[in-house]
Amino acid sequence: MLINENLILLDLNAETKQDAIEALASLGYRDGRIDSLETYVENVLQREQTYTTGVGNGVAIPHAKSNSVKEAMIVFGKPTKAIEWGSLDDKPVDMVFLLGVPEDGAENLHLKIISQLSRKLMSEEFICTIRNATCKSEVMKALGDI
Amino acid sequence: MKIVAVTACPTGIAHTYMAAEALEIAAKKLGHTIKVETQGSIGIENKITSKEAAEADLVIFAADVAVKEDIRFAKKPLYKVEAQKAIKNARLVVEEALKFYETNA
Repeated sequence: MLINENLILLDLNAETKQDAIEALASLGYRDGRIDSLETYVENVLQREQTYTTGVGNGVAIPHAKSNSVKEAMIVFGKPTKAIEWGSLDDKPVDMVFLLGVPEDGAENLHLKIISQLSRKLMSEEFICTIRNATCKSEVMKALGDI
Repeated sequence: MKIVAVTACPTGIAHTYMAAEALEIAAKKLGHTIKVETQGSIGIENKITSKEAAEADLVIFAADVAVKEDIRFAKKPLYKVEAQKAIKNARLVVEEALKFYETNA
């Protein structure tokens, strides 16, 4: 499974983009998905510099393909206060999907699911469902339908 | 109007697919047919055949890296943008591409 309840944080306390990425990456680390928190966070921030992953509508999808990722993951965080992300539409972010994919041997199935999630994020209905989720199981259910 | 498009981004994990989805939605809303090929981490998907390329009126590249096998589109009006522009405002990208077609076809 790309996501489980350990990888969902509905009260993400973060002031900045970097705080948010670190906090969500820690969930991945604790769940055994990544073996070096530092390397992974650095890879994600590098990717962020290439250009923003704030794709608009309050959604950000920070991500990296990294040696530090042992098992592909989706970590979802809902900030308690919207975060300035330098998004394409200049709006702050209230939904963060942190994606991690291993550098080598990433399974096609996982990549496929992540690509489908990316497509889904262009759907307002899907975004609304997740934005309005009040418990982890609702998020799991919405993501499980991908 | 028959449109074909290719999307690609550096890691090929997310933007490639978001741009593809956005272009498909926008082109259909504007009443055009579109086929979008993604060149991402999974490789090339929904590949545009040489025949489809030949039959297309217009080609859009929403890509931040070089598009593979672009020889297929050599003789076609080609409108290029960054992948993120298609994510941000796909409708505008399609409209601009159509304008480009009108002035260059």
